[in-house]
Amino acid sequence: MDQYWSVTQQLLAGFGENCLLFGVTLLFALPLGLLISLGSMSRFKPLKAVCRVFVWIIRGTPLMLQLFVVYYIPPLLSDGSFKFSDRMTAAMIAFIINYAAYFSEIYRGGIEAIPRGQYEAGYVLGMTKSQIFFKVVLLQVVKRIIPPMSNEIITLVKDTSLARVIAVGEILKNAEQFTKQGLIWPIFYTGAFFLLFCGVLTLLFRFIERKLDYYKG
Amino acid sequence: MAFLEVKNIKKSFGKTLVLKDISFTLEKGEVLAIIGSSGSGKTTLLRCINFLETPQKGVISVNGSVLFDDADSSKKKDAEIRKNRLHFGMVFQQFNLFPQYTVFENLILAPKLLAKEKIEQNGEFLGAKSYKEAVESIKTYAEQLLENVGLSEKRDEYPCNLSGGQQQRVAIARALALKPDILCFDEPTSALDPELTGEVLNVIKSLKSSESTMIVVTHEISFARDVADKIIFMADGVIEEEGTPQQVIENPQSPRTQAFLSRFNQYSD
Ligand SMILES: Nc1ncnc2c1ncn2[C@@H]1O[C@H](COP(=O)(O)OP(=O)(O)OP(=O)(O)O)[C@@H](O)[C@H]1O
Ligand SMILES: [Mg+2]
Repeated sequence: MDQYWSVTQQLLAGFGENCLLFGVTLLFALPLGLLISLGSMSRFKPLKAVCRVFVWIIRGTPLMLQLFVVYYIPPLLSDGSFKFSDRMTAAMIAFIINYAAYFSEIYRGGIEAIPRGQYEAGYVLGMTKSQIFFKVVLLQVVKRIIPPMSNEIITLVKDTSLARVIAVGEILKNAEQFTKQGLIWPIFYTGAFFLLFCGVLTLLFRFIERKLDYYKG
Repeated sequence: MAFLEVKNIKKSFGKTLVLKDISFTLEKGEVLAIIGSSGSGKTTLLRCINFLETPQKGVISVNGSVLFDDADSSKKKDAEIRKNRLHFGMVFQQFNLFPQYTVFENLILAPKLLAKEKIEQNGEFLGAKSYKEAVESIKTYAEQLLENVGLSEKRDEYPCNLSGGQQQRVAIARALALKPDILCFDEPTSALDPELTGEVLNVIKSLKSSESTMIVVTHEISFARDVADKIIFMADGVIEEEGTPQQVIENPQSPRTQAFLSRFNQYSD
């Protein structure tokens, strides 16, 4: 029993890191993704090209590779004079960049799915561009992107364990430590933490979807 | 000077010239029906009039004031285009109601936004001195419009729960809520099941009065004949023939008008 509690404590400490990475990534990647999506729909061609190439590179390479790049490339380029003092910071940067790219595509899909007639109806009613965006389009976009967003955010929960490749002390890394003492079960036990967290998120997203279910279209 | 004057409108998309040289006038209280085959430029013309497209050439004026003139080279500011748009209302083929708002909210959304802006700017909106007062009269007017289109009991429904014909009647009421000088319809019944066209056409017919000026693009020839004071037949981006319903529909002079109408007469009567 004592052993069970000490393992749980260790894993909880690790899962705290996962949650931190999750929260910070969401906090920055959600708005950054919106900026990138606006850029990738811009009529200013160079900006559009830069954003699209960025999204292509980020979505076209493994997140694990991006973690290595963010952690190892700056010291290499600066001949070792720059080094991340905190591995977590490097992980956060890689995750924010990666998820902003994915989110931007979700936003873009949502925004482009709004029929042009909605904007035109607003225009002929004398509304300004920003009134049309905030009063007409925004909620429709939100309703459309909730399902793909919830998918992506649930993936993010599980992806946070990838941070262990640059030795962030997250839950799976902590669980692995116990194998040295001949304990295998803590590794499987980690699943419970992810399941619980994702379960709560699923309920939350279902609640939001229900809230927006009062209209169709 | 006529109430609405449209002069020498030219509009092309890339290399395709869609409106070649369109001029017409309309008096206050008149109903103009525009007919013509698919691709002749009817929608494009209405969109130019509503400033959803910018013509390369031409002049548009309402009640003596010039709203658009290609010779006026200064690029129009958004605010000015918005102000000009308010002279016109537009009812689309696809209704384009805002799905997240109830019928009533669809009607009052734009007027409320406008009232807020006007009262902040001038301290006044259509006689109302405060925003609250303005909202009251906007709501009263919206209720009345819903009654006029026969949808008072649908006030708090969402558009997805209405039939196509009901949605289009809401769209008409929404366009009227801003009291436009000229109300434009782009094939208002083309997206509807045949049994629903009647209710929408009847509403449009009921709007006809000495005060309301309307432009209706339609394929409903008998409706055009009954309601319009004036008919324009468009073909390939030009006005091929125009006149009273008697002139254009009963006695078309141009061979193209005759050919177009004979295709309709085959199926009616
Ligand atoms: N945004 C656009 N870009 C390029 N071409 C366009 C555009 N809008 C319209 N056109 C072209 O202009 C021509 C006239 O189109 P328009 O929609 O005005 O015709 P219409 O008379 O309304 O036809 P319908 O009866 O089918 O509605 C068509 O050949 C169409 O392909
Ligand atoms: Mg058309």
